[in-house]
Formats: sequence, C-alpha cells, structure tokens
Amino acid sequence: MNYLAQRLLTFPLILLGVSVLVFVSIRMIPGSQITAMLGTEAGMLTAAQREALAAYFGIDQPVWTQYFRWLAGLFQGDLGVSTIYARPVLNVILERFPLTLQLALMSMTIALCIGLPLGVFAATRNERPSDLIVRILAMLGQSTPNFVIGILLIYFLSVFFGIVPAMGTFTPLTVDPLASFGQLFWPAVTLGFAFAASVTRISRSAMLDVLSDDYIRTARSKGASSMSVIWRHALPNALIPVVTLSGVEFGYLLGGAVIVEQIFALPGLGRLVLDAITQRDYALVQGTVLFIAFNFLIVNLLVDLAYAALDPRIRIGGRK
Amino acid sequence: MSRIFASFVRHPSGRIGLVIVSLYIVAAIMGTFGLTPHNPLAMVPIDRLKAPNEAYWFGTDILGRDTFSRLMVGIRQSMIIAFASVACATIAGTIIGLFSAWLGGIWDGVLMRFMDVLLAFPAILLALLIIAIVGPGTITSIAAIGIVYTPIFARVVRGPALSLKQRDFVDAARTFGSTQPYILTRHLLLNLVAPLAVQVTLALAWALLTEAGLSFLGLGTQPPTPSLGLMLAESRNLMPQAPWLMIFPALTIMLGILGFNLAGDALRDILDPRTQRREA
Amino acid sequence: MTKTMTRTFLSGLAVATALSTAAFAAPVEAATLRMAWSQDATGLDPHTQTAFSSLRLLELIYEPLVRLDAELNVVPAIASSWEFSEDAQTLTFTLDPAATFSNGEQVTAADVKASFERILNEATAAAARSNFLSIESIDTPDEATVVFNLSTPDVPILVAMAGINAAIAPASEIEAGSVGTTALGSGPFVLDTWEPNSREVLTANPDWAGGELGIDGINISVLPDETAILASLRAGQTDFALINDPLVATMVPNEAGLELNRAPGLAYNVLQLNPNREPMDNVLVRQAMSCAIDRQSIIDTALAGEGAVTGPLTMPAFAQDPSSLFCYEQDLDRARELMAESGVDGFTATVIAATGEPPYAALEAQVLQAQLAEIGITLNIEMMELNVYVDTWLQGDFDMAVAQNGGRPDPYPMYNRYFTNDGNLLNVSNYVDDTLDSLMREGQAETDPERRVEIFQEFENHLVEQSPWLWLSTSFSYTAQRENVSGFVPSPTGTLFGLTEVTVE
Repeated sequence: MNYLAQRLLTFPLILLGVSVLVFVSIRMIPGSQITAMLGTEAGMLTAAQREALAAYFGIDQPVWTQYFRWLAGLFQGDLGVSTIYARPVLNVILERFPLTLQLALMSMTIALCIGLPLGVFAATRNERPSDLIVRILAMLGQSTPNFVIGILLIYFLSVFFGIVPAMGTFTPLTVDPLASFGQLFWPAVTLGFAFAASVTRISRSAMLDVLSDDYIRTARSKGASSMSVIWRHALPNALIPVVTLSGVEFGYLLGGAVIVEQIFALPGLGRLVLDAITQRDYALVQGTVLFIAFNFLIVNLLVDLAYAALDPRIRIGGRK
Repeated sequence: MSRIFASFVRHPSGRIGLVIVSLYIVAAIMGTFGLTPHNPLAMVPIDRLKAPNEAYWFGTDILGRDTFSRLMVGIRQSMIIAFASVACATIAGTIIGLFSAWLGGIWDGVLMRFMDVLLAFPAILLALLIIAIVGPGTITSIAAIGIVYTPIFARVVRGPALSLKQRDFVDAARTFGSTQPYILTRHLLLNLVAPLAVQVTLALAWALLTEAGLSFLGLGTQPPTPSLGLMLAESRNLMPQAPWLMIFPALTIMLGILGFNLAGDALRDILDPRTQRREA
Repeated sequence: MTKTMTRTFLSGLAVATALSTAAFAAPVEAATLRMAWSQDATGLDPHTQTAFSSLRLLELIYEPLVRLDAELNVVPAIASSWEFSEDAQTLTFTLDPAATFSNGEQVTAADVKASFERILNEATAAAARSNFLSIESIDTPDEATVVFNLSTPDVPILVAMAGINAAIAPASEIEAGSVGTTALGSGPFVLDTWEPNSREVLTANPDWAGGELGIDGINISVLPDETAILASLRAGQTDFALINDPLVATMVPNEAGLELNRAPGLAYNVLQLNPNREPMDNVLVRQAMSCAIDRQSIIDTALAGEGAVTGPLTMPAFAQDPSSLFCYEQDLDRARELMAESGVDGFTATVIAATGEPPYAALEAQVLQAQLAEIGITLNIEMMELNVYVDTWLQGDFDMAVAQNGGRPDPYPMYNRYFTNDGNLLNVSNYVDDTLDSLMREGQAETDPERRVEIFQEFENHLVEQSPWLWLSTSFSYTAQRENVSGFVPSPTGTLFGLTEVTVE
C-alpha cells in the first residue's frame, strides 16, 4: 500500500515533466498556427492582420505566460480549446478515445488468442519441427513492419475480394456492435500480428521455464495427465511474463497507432495528435500527449499490481 | 569471451542470426566503398521501372535507378543509424543508470523521474517532435532513436547496479580503499555486460524497425541517399505496376530485423543463467 | 399560428410525395454522393481560409459575386451582370433577385458591402485583402445594386472577386461574428456536419438560385492515404474522390469501373533561385542553370509523364509556346559556356523541398540534382515538413527551393506579389527590376484584353530571360469516380463546383 501511494505520488511529477517537454518542444518547431492555416498565403498578411491572428490563437503572449495560464486551466480540469475543432480539447480527445481503446483491446485479444496457444504448443514440442516452425513464424511476425502489413492487406482485400474496411469515420460499439467490430477487425489484425508474435515467443519461453521447475515434475510423477499439468499447473505461472508484456504493449497501443490509423483512415488518438502537430494546434497536442502519458502510467501501474497478484513471492517494489 | 562466441555459433538461432548480420555488414561495407553492381544514384531514364532481369537483379525504380545497389546502400544507412543510435542510448543510459544507482537519494529520484518522463512520452511522437525541431537527416534520426531508447537502458542498468551495490564484493572493494570510479568501472560494469548485451541486440532490431518507420513517413534519411523505409514509401503507389519495388525492400527490412532478433535470442539463452541450468 | 400549421401540413405533404416517388421511381431517385479526399478543410471562414481543401469545400457552400467557368471566363453567380466604367475605376454589379441564403433570406447589396468591409478590415486577417486594396468605397444605391469605387484603374479585381475568398456572407452573421462557425451561405449545398480530419456531411440547398441539383447531398470522408482512397473506390465504398498524387491517378484508368477526370491546372512547379545569395545573384549563373535542365525529362520521370512544360504564364489565354522562351530546350554546351562566362567555377547549394507537397517533390529535387551536376553544381536536398518549409520559404531563407505555387486566372494577382516593388512576397523572390515593375502596373490598368495579353507576354519573356526562378511544368488536378457517377466537369482552378451537375445512378 505504501508502494502504491509512493507510485501514485510520482505521477503528477512525471506528468508535469511531460507537459513542460511537450509545451516547449511544440513551440520550438518552426511555423505556427498562422502558417499552418494559411500556408504561403500567410506572406500576404499585413502586420496588423498578423497580430490579430496571433491574438486569436493566443500565441501573442510570452511562452511562460502561456504555460502558466494553461497549467492554471489544467488544475480546474480545463485542457484548453482546440482551434481546429473549435471545441474543448478534452471533448475532442474523449470522442477519439473509444476507437483507440477498442482497437487496442481487439489487437490484444487477437494477439493473446493466437500467441498464447501457439506458445504453449511450441513449448510442449520443444525443439521438434513443429516448435521450430512456430518459432520461425513468430520471428518473422516480429520482424515485419506493420505498415507493410497494412498496405498489403488493403490492397489485396480490395483487389481480390472487392472489400475494404469502412474508412474515414468510426462506428462506435454502442451504435452498431457488428459494424464496429467489422471496421476495426483488419486494423486490429495488422497491429495484432507483431503483438501475437511477441506473445508466442514469451509464452513459449515462460512455459519452458515453468515446465522445468521441480513442482511440475512432482505433479507429473504423481500421475497428473500432461494436459492437466500444462493447463492447470504450469500455465498460471507462465502467465506472469505474458501479462507483463501484454500490459506494456497495451499501454503503447493506448497512445494510438499513428501509421496504422493513417493507412486505414481511422480517427483515433494517433492521428489526432499527428494532425494536431501538423496543424500546430498547440492546445490539442499538449492535451493529447498528456492524456496518452497518463494512460501509459496507469496501465503500467496496473501491470505491476497484476504482477504482484499473480506471483505472491515477489515483494512489490523490490523488483527493480 | 571466446567461450561465449563458441556457444553462440553452436546455438542454432545464433548461427543463423550471425550469418544474416554478417551478410548485412558485408553488404553495408561494399555499399560504402561503391562496390555495388550499379551506381545507386545514377538515373537511366530509358530503364525506368524495369522488372528484375540480368542487368538489374531486383529491377529499377521510377527514376531508373538500380534497386539492388540502392538496397546495399540502404542497408548501410540503416546499419549506421541503428548501431549509432543504440550506441548513444547504451552509453547515455548506462551512465545515467549507474549514477542513479550509485548516488542514490535525491539524484536517483530526479534522474529516474526524468527517465520516466521520456518513457511516458509516446515514443513515435517524441521522435517526431525532435525531428520536426532539428530537421530530418541521418544525425537527427540517430539522436531521436537514441533519446527514445535511453530510459530503457537506464532502467536496465540501474536495477542490477542497485543490487550489486549491496553485495559483499563491492563493499569489500570499498573497504580496501578502492576509489569510486574504479569500483564503478571494474565491478559494476563487468557484471552488467550480460543484461546489456541482450538489450543491445534487441534494441538494434527495434532501431532498424523505427528507422524504417521514420523514413517511411519521410522523416528519416533524406534523398537521394537510399534508405529502406524511404524506398518502401516511394514504392507504395507503384505496387500494381512494379511490385518488386515493395517486395525487396520489405524483405530486406524483415531479414535484417530477423537477424538481430535471432542473435539477441541466442545471446540471451547463453548469458541467462536460468537457461543454462535448464540445458544442463 | 396559421402559418405554422400550413408549414407542417406542407412538409407532411412533401414527405408523402417523397415517399411515393421513392416507391414508384426508385431508379431515378437522386442519391447521396460518397466522396473522399486525403486532406481535410482547415476551417469554415470563406474570407480567411486559403488551404486547397477549405476552398473546395467552401465553394460548395458559399457564392462570390461572379465565378469562373471551366474555360476561366467570368460568369454570373450572385451578380447577374456587371460593368466597368471607361477608366476602370468604377465597377458596378447588379444582383440576382433569386439569390438567397440557406436560411431563406435574400442576398442584398448590404450583405455584399458588409462582406467586403469584413475582408478589408485588418482584424479579420484575410490574406485576400491584398487583392482588394484599390477599393476606396462601396455604394449601395438600392437593394440590388453595388458600386465599387476604386482608387486606381484595376481590371484584375474582377477575377479576384470570382474567388471564394470574396464570398458573400449574410450581414447579420458578420455582425454577430459567427461567419467562421455557422457556414451560412447562398451556395448549392448546406453544411450539416463537420468533424475536422474525419468527415463532412452536405445536403442539397433546395433554394439555391442556380437551379436543381442532381444529388441529395455529399458525404465527404477524409482518407489520408491515397492508396486507401483508390482501394475504397475499387471496393465501391467511395463514388468520387480527389486525387493529389499523379502516380495514384495514373492507376485509375487501369481499374475496371473507375474513371479519371484530368484538368490541366494553373499551379506551376518551379525551382526558385534566391538571387540575394551568391552565386545566384549572377544572371549568367541563373541562365546557365536554366539551359542545363531538361524540363520534359523531369516531367517524364518525377511526374510519371503527368504534366506539361510551362513558362510563368500558365493560363491558356495568356500562355505562350514554351519552346519560344529563353533556353527552354536543354542545351548543355550553352550552359557550360554561360557558366564559364560568369566566372563561377561550379558551386554547392542547398535546395529545400516540402515532404509530400507536391507528392513528387522529393523525386523532382533528385532529378534536378542529377541534371545540375552536369554543369558542376552540387545540390544538397533538404526535405522539410510542410509547415517548416512554409516558414522557411516565407523568410526567403534558402539558396533554392523546389516549390509548387498556386496559379491565378490572371497574371496580375499571380505575380504582382513576387516581382513588383511593393509585392508582399518580394522577400521570397528577392528579385525585381524596373521592366517587370512597370509592365505589371501597365497590365493592371489596361482594359483591352488583347493588349493585356501582349503586356504580360512581354513580362514573361523578360522574367524567363532573367531567370530568378526556373519555371518547370504545370500538372493536372485529378478527380476519380465510379461509373455510376456522371456529369462532372473539371476546371483548371480545381473547383468542385462541377458537382452541381453530377448525378449518381
């Protein structure tokens, strides 16, 4: 409990660091909202017009004034207003988040459903041909850039089957569950591919570790069937590294999958922040990055707690 | 050391990994010294978009440049960025991790919280922001990938360093009057070689993938220098007409990452005491 | 009370009619066009937006006084007729009495006056203001007449008024300060929904003065990846799409069931030299570069053959045969002679280009690099994110720049900004001389169309010979459609106004 409190106390500190970093770096990039909106036509503005625009975008103040004003708003739960969407940043983020969350969950489900059985299977066939095949496949899966998979998927689906996943807008789960799943299926496969490969590899090696442990040998010698040994005794222990890996990977996915969202035209968090950077929507970049970092911290904390729950031998906090 | 190398060669995936990585290094060296079948930058307009043939083994691109030669130079580019960025991350991460563990207290807190900040910052966005500020290029890619990976190395080093710090032999060394830097380098670093080596090979595979991704977005290597990711990006709209332009760079990236992953796995098996016990 | 009842009754009747028509005449029923583009609009204020997609969207919602047809002739829009005075200092418009905003209110002279006053007000920050500086005062003798009094003879102002940046917005909205948010115009469509970077929903405006539309509405999706747009067309998920990348466009005709519309555009690809920096300050060096490049070869390779060699004047009414321009055929011998004469013995320079804008920018830069290497010039290519590029470009902080600059239907607004003494972008071009400046002024005041062509062609010849920039090519603007879409007329301005004629089966 002490550990949990300690961890939670560092969160605001880390988030503050993230906010300063994003605030300063986004403003260090050449170009501003004025050039982002007007392009080369920005050169046609008079000094007075330029000032009027800068005031409108709130970039006429010194950077630190802007930061403290933003920070003050943050403490009141106000992340500022996005100039592109003309709405509060938090609303825009929360609108995009369900897609990212669902995509991350679906990718993880696919990865676990494929990776876990394959890994366990390979472990039981240690060093036999079937094990080697699984390992090579897993290796290849981990080595394929997901943008290659995405591009090939869209191309082959449209050419040979005349279909593409719905693109451009997102149908939320609450509106039409089937359409929602259908839309995110292929993007989830794209993301789940490498993820499944990692799960396969880690579950295989974890399973091998556990199977060589004494208590499994004992269970076996006591006449437990090999199936029940694997699923009842070995798997729960082998799950620990799998949970850690999936958790960390899930944390990354919650930050949005920039390239895959771009290819499949999905309005998720990854594209939101990418577009916000391109269009120099400072408030939106700040808000989204902070949101992503917060999720990442929470997920990692949960992973550590799950880790402790699964393995009581580990005294939490002493691990690192 | 030679014992490790011997078991590395004996290890099946280690062997394959070693072959691939050596092959890539040879290709990169040949690319550096211009030992390519064609000039990778020379444009032959009449030979545009030629399918693979005897003259152009992997075909030509839209400007009439030889894909095979460009791949060789692209590999060199990827290798330079991967090795340099991981080297930066390893050095910076190790120093930060060691200082953090050694100094402890407030310094440990400050350094590691700063690492947490970098870690919590979405990796691709961090790279993207760095590149947007400095402008894309080889050096920027190295710096961006290096910075993203530094906190991971810092964590990898700090953990073992902390536990080593408590152990007897370090205390013993201290009581025998060894100076601090001496203890740091001699004892701690020696004991950190194993976890670092594994992390380095995995980071190399990751760096290759990231470099390809950044170049794919046009943020990595700049033209006309060939780069695997950039070649992929240029090929995507030509796929129906010239599939070789996508297939070969994609395979080259995959094989390279595969090589480093295999080598990393073998290294982990060899260096990890738990697996040694299993094999015995 | 009675009024409300009547309206309810009428709309009930309308629904019933619509239902019966739908039941009996399903095949001819108008449909919604599913459209896709890779870049979304960036805002809804017609006076301040300048991004390509924003203009294309707003052209469907708002109307200017006049517009340009596919041959770039000025045709009526809100104004049914117009007239210049002899001295080209007074411009009088008569408004179409049928023109109404989508809230049902008629477009009046007061709306026109308020709109132009808003553009001219510096607080609005409309970049297009620079086109209307000659407006001294606006008179509205009656509801349907607007008189612009100009401080100087200004013929090109009429073409500038045909742009959507001179759209007429309701005076009431301008007063309320809600022009950028409500999108209340008199155009063929009404904007129902806009989710930035995701989608737009437009429905047909039944009260549009321009007549009846062939479609009920347009659903626009933002698909950032053009390969995905092509896949979406192929799979029948999209009916109509804007294509930016010539490589993607060239694939469209090979697909069963898809058609490509191509229109030669007014925008031009150019290698901008910076005559403020050595050795580009030497006219002989610039001319040598102009002779050294093979413009057609750049089109054949980098642009996949999609484009045409051009001089500075891209609009058909003014353009000259490119082969008549100075050194437009590659001539390496002459280039080397000019280099020798200049006393500059090869040099190294950096050329900037924007990533993906235009899509072939990197390829173009690489071909130029290879061609200029022939006369001992070493180019380093520096690719930049679009916004960084724009910032650098506006500061004139480059040796050379690969650019695609927008074209105008008239040479005056197109080049006045770059090559005159009071041009806003003189620090980008860094080049002006007395000949260019006086010819530009002459062209602004001249009312005789033929004489104007002569003046601007002289301007063009001089500009090409001085070679501050090396004009390369024009490219096409593309739209792709499925077979079930018909009637679209593309325009050199890139406008999607042709969608008003489109039907979907």
